[in-house]
Amino acid sequence: MQRLWGYIYQYRYRYMRGIACLVMTATLAMSIPWLLKQAVEGIEHGRPVREIVSTVLLIIGIALLQGVVRSFSRFLIFNVGRDIEYQLRNELFAHLQTLSLSYYQRQPIGDLMSRLVNDVTAVRLLLGLGIINILNTPLYYVYAMAAMLAMDPILTLLAIAPYPFMFLVVRAMSRQLMERTLNVQAGLADLSSRVQESVSGMPVIRAYVREAWQNGVFGGLNERFKTENIALARLRGLFPPLMKGISGTGLLVVLWYGGSQVIAGRLSLGDLVAFMGYLHLLAWPTMAMGWLISLYQRGKAAMQRLEVIWQTRPDIVDGRENGASRSGQTVRGEIGFRHVDFAYPLDDRRPGGEAGNGHVPDGRTVLHDITFTVPAGKTVGIVGRMGAGKSTLVHLLPRLFDVTRGAITIDGRDIRLFSLAELRRCIGFVPQDPFLFSARIEDNIAFSQPEVDGGDVRRTAVLASVDGEIEDFPKGYETVIGERGMTLSGGQKQRLTLSRALLADTPILVLDCALSSVDVTTEGKILQALRTSTTEKTVLIISHRVSAIRDADFIVVLDAGRIVEMGTHTELVERGSMYTELFQDQALEEELAEL
Amino acid sequence: MNQGQDEAALGKTYDLALLRRLWVYIRPYRATFIVAVVCLPLTSACLLAQPYLLKLGVDWYIEQGDAAGLTRIGLLFAAALLGEFLFFYAQFQATMLVAQRSLADLRRDLFTHVQELPASFFERTPVGRLVTRLTTDVDAINEAFSAGTLTIFMDILTLVGIVVIMLSIDFHLAVVTLALLPPLLLILNFFRTRTRVTYRTIRERLARINAFLQETLSGIMVVQVFAQERKMFAEFEQRNRAHRDANHLSNMYEASLFSIVEALSIISIALMLWYGAGQVGQGLVALGTLVAFIEYLQKFFVPIREFSTKYTTMQTAMTAVERVFQLLDTPVTITSPPAAHRPHEVAGRIDFEHVWFAYNEEEWVLRDVSFSVAPGESIALVGATGAGKTTISKLLNRFYDIQRGRILVDGVDIREWDMHALRRRVGVVLQDVFLFVGDVATNLSLGRTDLTPDDLRQAARHVNAEGFIRELPGGYHEHLHERGANLSAGQRQLLSFARALAYDPAILVLDEATSSVDPETEVLIQDALTKLMQNRTTLVIAHRFSTIQNADRIIVLHKGRLREVGTHQALIAQRGIYWRLYQLQYAHAAGTAPAHTDGPVLEEI
Ligand SMILES: Nc1ncnc2c1ncn2[C@@H]1O[C@H](COP(=O)(O)OP(=O)(O)O)[C@@H](O)[C@H]1O
Ligand SMILES: Nc1ncnc2c1ncn2[C@@H]1O[C@H](COP(=O)(O)OP(=O)(O)O)[C@@H](O)[C@H]1O
Ligand SMILES: [Mg+2]
Ligand SMILES: [Mg+2]
Repeated sequence: MQRLWGYIYQYRYRYMRGIACLVMTATLAMSIPWLLKQAVEGIEHGRPVREIVSTVLLIIGIALLQGVVRSFSRFLIFNVGRDIEYQLRNELFAHLQTLSLSYYQRQPIGDLMSRLVNDVTAVRLLLGLGIINILNTPLYYVYAMAAMLAMDPILTLLAIAPYPFMFLVVRAMSRQLMERTLNVQAGLADLSSRVQESVSGMPVIRAYVREAWQNGVFGGLNERFKTENIALARLRGLFPPLMKGISGTGLLVVLWYGGSQVIAGRLSLGDLVAFMGYLHLLAWPTMAMGWLISLYQRGKAAMQRLEVIWQTRPDIVDGRENGASRSGQTVRGEIGFRHVDFAYPLDDRRPGGEAGNGHVPDGRTVLHDITFTVPAGKTVGIVGRMGAGKSTLVHLLPRLFDVTRGAITIDGRDIRLFSLAELRRCIGFVPQDPFLFSARIEDNIAFSQPEVDGGDVRRTAVLASVDGEIEDFPKGYETVIGERGMTLSGGQKQRLTLSRALLADTPILVLDCALSSVDVTTEGKILQALRTSTTEKTVLIISHRVSAIRDADFIVVLDAGRIVEMGTHTELVERGSMYTELFQDQALEEELAEL
Repeated sequence: MNQGQDEAALGKTYDLALLRRLWVYIRPYRATFIVAVVCLPLTSACLLAQPYLLKLGVDWYIEQGDAAGLTRIGLLFAAALLGEFLFFYAQFQATMLVAQRSLADLRRDLFTHVQELPASFFERTPVGRLVTRLTTDVDAINEAFSAGTLTIFMDILTLVGIVVIMLSIDFHLAVVTLALLPPLLLILNFFRTRTRVTYRTIRERLARINAFLQETLSGIMVVQVFAQERKMFAEFEQRNRAHRDANHLSNMYEASLFSIVEALSIISIALMLWYGAGQVGQGLVALGTLVAFIEYLQKFFVPIREFSTKYTTMQTAMTAVERVFQLLDTPVTITSPPAAHRPHEVAGRIDFEHVWFAYNEEEWVLRDVSFSVAPGESIALVGATGAGKTTISKLLNRFYDIQRGRILVDGVDIREWDMHALRRRVGVVLQDVFLFVGDVATNLSLGRTDLTPDDLRQAARHVNAEGFIRELPGGYHEHLHERGANLSAGQRQLLSFARALAYDPAILVLDEATSSVDPETEVLIQDALTKLMQNRTTLVIAHRFSTIQNADRIIVLHKGRLREVGTHQALIAQRGIYWRLYQLQYAHAAGTAPAHTDGPVLEEI
């Protein structure tokens, strides 16, 4: 909630302007029943019509003025609500971008979406409509009470008597209301996540004819959401008629008790009209109160759900030196691993994991005591069984995760001293899972450098041997591809991600099984092209094909997170252990025979 | 002006058509719905009685000084109040029950429908948009119910009732009082047409924000690794700003409308007093009538004041209804025929007969492809990337229908097969691995209860996945994150492979099923598979010759055409494309790589 106050404070001047208009509107509105009383009393006592007409004209004037001021008050405050919503979304998005990969692996995206869309909306409603009503209600009450007390204190107290009762009822119900609101909001988020996952996994569901299973899972969530919504409606539906009933009771009292006062000659009919006028003016804010309570509960629940996002602090942040000390110097690309251990953060959903306190305990150690150096401009191949830790190793380099122990250096400097942008701008990364955006091919390749011209894009596409196929598409580089590159073949996706990394023109290039779906012929072409054009670059290449790594300056063999062998291809083949075991079926037999 | 009216008229019939379709969902709950509908006029009647009782009280008892009569009127008034309360609550509850139930049905139908849509639909539609349809949009309809769309009918009833009562109490006074009604209606109509457009814009912009968020968060690793957070933020900010600006406009409409209605309501009362003052003086109008009129006017303007809010809610809901039904109307183009082929036993014969296929019209991806696979045979599909190998595997499963030619399984055109029966017999290990959030076991069984844990273990053992699964802290119950993010790519691939084996298909298609697996493990899997492949037809797509060589026959595909078919030996002897590919890999390995093989080998053939 504190954050909410922060926003209100930030926009205080605009709020104040809006509030000034609100106060003026209320003041003008409250003078109207008084004037009505004057007019009715005038008619009652048979005063000259001219006198009454001047009162009527005054009423019309005030009505017009009030209209203008009122529209300003609403416009001002609603817009602040929208502006805060806009700012909140921006800030959340910016914050989310700073959170590391380990966060996203635990956090379903459908759920995040629901928070950024539905919960932000709930907060906005509270800050716009909510604020207006929070202010209007007491304001109207103070004015109306003052005017009514002046006319007849006893009648006032009687007419107002049901209102405190209403507050008690509302207070009693609000906890329940909050609980049910939270349930509904969480239910909506669950539905979002489900749909999101089912749609993404549609090919699998379809291939295995598991639609019934998905329908069952979705049906269960849908059913639960329905029940929770009904439970909420049962409670929420009580508020509007309750409010109406209470303001109606006030009217009844005025008619009954007030009427007998008129009969007794202690009140005028004009007073009665004024009383009814004030009660009417109170009816709306009172009704809004009930609704405000659910608005408030929803906003508060939503803010709590957003707060969870804020409270996740980015665990991978800019280094202390921030590049200032070495600015101007270009990175050569020497890479050093020094006794690096790494364990993925423990899944906090599993019992035993500590959730929420920011420091997630580490799970299994995936890398043990990794030490090696790649001189600038050299190529190193990394091989090992699946799950050995190859991808993990290269993910540490751009600090997608931070090492648990030891250090990684670039040009002899700990990577944790760089600013993140500085570090990542010197690494061209081709991840194992090719991810492309649903944009034009050109935009995907130029992702890191939107301002480059078509020539550069083409040049890197040629390097990655994908140029020909792109040109074959009717729209060429302008072809818009589906989400995640859905409309491309596996090999095309991989080569586009390679082009994207090449275009960034970085001193370091990381290829994580980057050509596994590319046929051997094309792979050979690409590697040849890379060798001739990237002699300056330090290259880390992970592959399961001996053809891709045999020419590396040296090869690191990983097994179960440890380095078991290092050396050139020939050395390793001669030594004949893990490396030869791995690749024994791939051409090595012949080579061994030759040796 | 004319055009605007036409558009409005069109909009009305269109809205009616949409409502009729929504009615299909409400129908099953019509009993409850009728309760709601019956309660509406009752609520209205109780509401309308109140000012009239007030008038009677003033005219008959207060002015006459009859205290006992006043008590009677008071009791009647109390009864009217209680009635209003009860009928309103009953109405609201009934409406909400109907709404929640019918919307849950709608959501269920949407979900079921989405699952049947053709693969091409998902290539065009962002995931984020579908999520919006099924959640936010359906919720917008719900909001319309809970904010009282039905009560709009009650409001109209009340308004008409008030006008009629006022006219019957005092015709002249009523005419003067309601003089502002025509301009009010014009103003309302003006705002109605404006907000309609604005609301559509707002929804569109919100949908764009959602789609963008969804995609960026899915690709957050790419964004971070290329340090493009600023650029993505700028793009997000721009979408966010467009959405905000549209809302500012709509706020202006809403604020002005609300204020205009407020002002008009007071001015109407003033007009009435102006005229009434003279009339009462001449004894033509009772004072009680004036009081009742003030009261009626107050009640008259309450629904009109709420109109702007209700209207926007309704507008949002109508847009949502429109989009939801649009999704429901998206045709399911791939379906089983009426008397579908649903055999008990499948031998596993495959025939491609002159198959032509394009994802987009006339951009042929497969051209005149013909081949046959005998039951139990194993075939390797070889070709450069983009040659159309994956496409063949997707066609076999009927993810897409071909434009020309026929695909037969066991001699029956797959378009005559029951689609589900076909897919149940054809197990495809898709090139793009997808794992669900949930534990390892669920990902293997995909929710099938007829598979025992032993079956799953068996399948995992065949693909050599048992070892790593056992090492996971939770074993088969280890929780997998979205898309299996906490596994290595090879491990994910093995799970997806094991899943196909657990399924025990007659035809097994492996689309680069081991491309992320190390060669050593691959060899182990291959050995296990030889046994499994004995009595089933297998189609293997792979790039490593170690895998390809073991196949009974090899099919070489190039740029969508079938170029060579034969056994490994035969193709080597043929000295064609396959031979060159083989030469390239092995010649290179043997250290005698001739310079010219670096050139475009396949292109020159
Ligand atoms: N995000 C993660 N959370 C927890 N464990 C992980 C995660 N990613 C990978 N692992 C585990 O770490 C090990 C190494 O994975 P990885 O580096 O991807 O292997 P590979 O050598 O095949 O690239 C595997 O056992 C895998 O299950
Ligand atoms: N969903 C799709 N929409 C449009 N074009 C596609 C789609 N999927 C693949 N293609 C195109 O069809 C061709 C063949 O792709 P594919 O069969 O995946 O090749 P591969 O032989 O590498 O598996 C490629 O040029 C690819 O771009
Ligand atoms: Mg890997
Ligand atoms: Mg493919």
